[in-house]
Amino acid sequence: MEFLNLTLGQVLVTFGAVAAFSVALYLLDRTRRRQVVATLRFWVNPGQPAPVSRNRKIQQKTSLLLQLLGMLLLLLAIAEFQFGGGINKRRDHVLILDTSAWMGASVPGRANATLMDLARANAIAWLRAVPPSDRVLVVRADGLATPATAWELDHKKAVRAILESSPGATALNLTQNLEFARAMQRRSGATSGEIVYSGPGRISSREANNMNLPVIPALRVIPVDEPVENSGLRSVGARRSETAPGTWDVLVRVHNYGKTGRSVNVTLNFGKAPQGLHQLNVPPGADQETTFQLRTKAAGIVEVRLYPQDAFALDNYAALEIPEQRTLHVVVYSDNPEAIRPALASDPRVNAEFRTRAQYTPAGFEKGESGLVILDRFHPSTRPPGNTVWIDPPWSASSGDNQPFSIKERTDHPDGLRWIPDLPLTQGLRARNTQLESASIFDSTTVSDRIAEVEKGAVMVARGNTIAIGFNPFSGQMRYELSTPILVGNILHWAAPEVFRDVDVATQSAGSVASPVPATVDRNSVQVLTDSGTLLPFNVHDRSVQFFVGEPARVRVLAASPLGTTTERVFSLTLPEMWDTKWTPPTGIRKGIPALTDSIRRSTILWPWLTLAGLGLLLAEWILYGSQSTSRLHVVKAIHHREAA
Amino acid sequence: MPNAPLLDRHFLERLERLALRWQKSFAGLVGGHNRSRFAGGGQEFLDHRGYHQGDDLRAVNWRAYMRLDKMFLKLFQIEPRVPVRLLLDCSKSMAANPEKFDYARRLAASLCYVGLVRHDTFEVIPFADGIQEANICGGGRHRFTPLSNFLEALQPSGDTSFLKVVRRFLNDYPQRGLVIIISDFLDEAGCDKAIQYIADYGNELFLIQLWAPEDRTPPWTGELDLTDAETGAQLHIHVDSDARRAYTEQFDKFAESIKTVALRNDGKYAGIPTDMPLDDAIFGTLIHARGVA
Repeated sequence: MEFLNLTLGQVLVTFGAVAAFSVALYLLDRTRRRQVVATLRFWVNPGQPAPVSRNRKIQQKTSLLLQLLGMLLLLLAIAEFQFGGGINKRRDHVLILDTSAWMGASVPGRANATLMDLARANAIAWLRAVPPSDRVLVVRADGLATPATAWELDHKKAVRAILESSPGATALNLTQNLEFARAMQRRSGATSGEIVYSGPGRISSREANNMNLPVIPALRVIPVDEPVENSGLRSVGARRSETAPGTWDVLVRVHNYGKTGRSVNVTLNFGKAPQGLHQLNVPPGADQETTFQLRTKAAGIVEVRLYPQDAFALDNYAALEIPEQRTLHVVVYSDNPEAIRPALASDPRVNAEFRTRAQYTPAGFEKGESGLVILDRFHPSTRPPGNTVWIDPPWSASSGDNQPFSIKERTDHPDGLRWIPDLPLTQGLRARNTQLESASIFDSTTVSDRIAEVEKGAVMVARGNTIAIGFNPFSGQMRYELSTPILVGNILHWAAPEVFRDVDVATQSAGSVASPVPATVDRNSVQVLTDSGTLLPFNVHDRSVQFFVGEPARVRVLAASPLGTTTERVFSLTLPEMWDTKWTPPTGIRKGIPALTDSIRRSTILWPWLTLAGLGLLLAEWILYGSQSTSRLHVVKAIHHREAA
Repeated sequence: MPNAPLLDRHFLERLERLALRWQKSFAGLVGGHNRSRFAGGGQEFLDHRGYHQGDDLRAVNWRAYMRLDKMFLKLFQIEPRVPVRLLLDCSKSMAANPEKFDYARRLAASLCYVGLVRHDTFEVIPFADGIQEANICGGGRHRFTPLSNFLEALQPSGDTSFLKVVRRFLNDYPQRGLVIIISDFLDEAGCDKAIQYIADYGNELFLIQLWAPEDRTPPWTGELDLTDAETGAQLHIHVDSDARRAYTEQFDKFAESIKTVALRNDGKYAGIPTDMPLDDAIFGTLIHARGVA
């Protein structure tokens, strides 16, 4: 019970005064009324005394009661009396409309109807039950909480926002949306109303395992019935085969969201050409994986399709763009190629070409081709133009300017070998794994050129695109040391880092993505880019880059280590983010569309009815009692006028 | 067509279809429209008889003489002219409710117009505690306007005394005829004997009792100071539903006594509440009471 215009005390005091005044007038007016009648003979029965008159007593109790009741009803109308008490204050409601990707699923048995249509209809039905004086905030809920309206008193705007809502590409993050709604209610400053969630409540297992819903005093869930059978692509990933050069391993993972097992066909196309078809039997609620071998070095689009089509079509197709597989062309001038061949043959990305010293030519590589020239204890008359590695270059006074570095002396069993730390070329090298039998000491005064040094001076230096190694890592004890392949690998990375970049492309679902990065990654070098070059915000946490993509897109994650190694991961986020489990609402909350007796419905505005009822009572009293009093007055006046005449 | 302010033209046109009725024959009276058992010089053929010397030759049926060679005399029906006297109560009790007196005047005007149309002779006699100056009218509808003006000029005053009025009436109007009394018949001394006197003197009675709704069913309850409109007597009384019911019973007994007087003397009685439309009163109640036809 509530009075919008007056307090209860004011109503009681006012009514008391009005009632007292009315009773006083009533007593004064009706103590004894004079009435002129045609005759008195019929008022007294023969033989019976006249009825005894009684003064100062309410005679027409019904009349007084009608008057008091009528005035009370009018006073209540003025005070805008309403049933319901505090719930009738203006409240702020938050409508969380599920716009997750799953809402685009078709409803079986209803043509062209999706879960989104059902949720929209439920939301509008709830909105109709909200009193017009309450404000409503519509929040579109998927992976993020996105307010679609401000606090709106105009419910038509809220309806418009509901109708304009459409399924997104991410899964529902219910906790975040409920926290957002609760925070908005706290900040609104008005009485908190309901927080209403309209949707099927499908959430990810990540959220389900760490669900910590905020305390919401008035939570309402309007469930959407969704007997949908669906199976879809969960992820598609491709990476270079470690065994077969020029081959991609394409891993496809399929999930069955239904309650019965399904047999599905997975097809893979590359460049519009079929590459394979695998049949999978997916148990209900489980994943099945299959791997396709795709032999190609060219860049292109890998398309994966799932058959047969089902209620949710968005997760039946995924496209993955794979880059070109590039190689490093290494030309080795050596008279002893067998010593070097194993070191270069271990990596399929290296195309090694061995030539004799006599075949030396200073011509470079083709345009756009990555190349490296290795000169094994050989001093050509003309220096090669590109990346060059000099292995144990012989000292020759006649060479003159062809010497990349001047050699100060030659020493055997040098002591105090030290790899200069924090350089890409010395990554992973340890001095204890290196045993030098003899080495040339370069005359280098620039510290920055040194890669390795002994007590007498530098034994490995680098300047520009030239590296000079003062010892032969492919002879003697060094050829058995761990340092030799590591050093070769470092040199190859130094020569063509883009060839050896770890490329791992994957098609995943939009939403929150975590990309693993090496522990040594430089956090300041991390970049997350879309195809259009837009930088996405991200967070590096626990050896992974975390970012959020709300729409289907291709995203690149670039990360560089302090040693210069660059990692690039390409995410084809073309799949919708799907759910893992169904959220079970806690007991005791409000459910469904509000009934006619639901507490959210404000009691009907009563003041017009109270006014009509009050006026009706007063009119009835006037007809029953007052009008006759008036006619009597007329009679008395007429008589007096005639007598006076 | 007279232009009467008391009654509108349409209503008067409807009244022209009616005629006053009485049952008694009053010997020695001629004129009027009511049939008589006496033959004489009237308008309507009654019979033939043989001619006797001295008869009016204008009444000889000459066509019969030409055929039969005998003289026959045509006899015509005599139309008696019965005096109609209308006693209109103008006492204060008729003004206790202003509608009642107006209603009485309009009812009197209606009956007078019915009589005038039928060439009856009317005498409207206002009375209260005595007979006031009467208005005599007759000769057709064109005489209605002076009568209407006379009725409009009447004012209620004085107490009701039927005995005085009747005594004076019988003294002034010895010729028998139809006596119409329009009144509430509220006389502290009673009116039964007085009305009986009128009948005993050979007059035919047509009593029309008027009452206002509150005269019969008073709506008041509670503490009342009642004042008699004529005598000024006062009564302090507490009125409740029982008292109102007892009052109505007393009133109905009184009305029944008036009716008994009328019927006992071969007269007619009509009780009319003032909330009844005049149209219904004349074309319903009065026709039903056989006062008009």
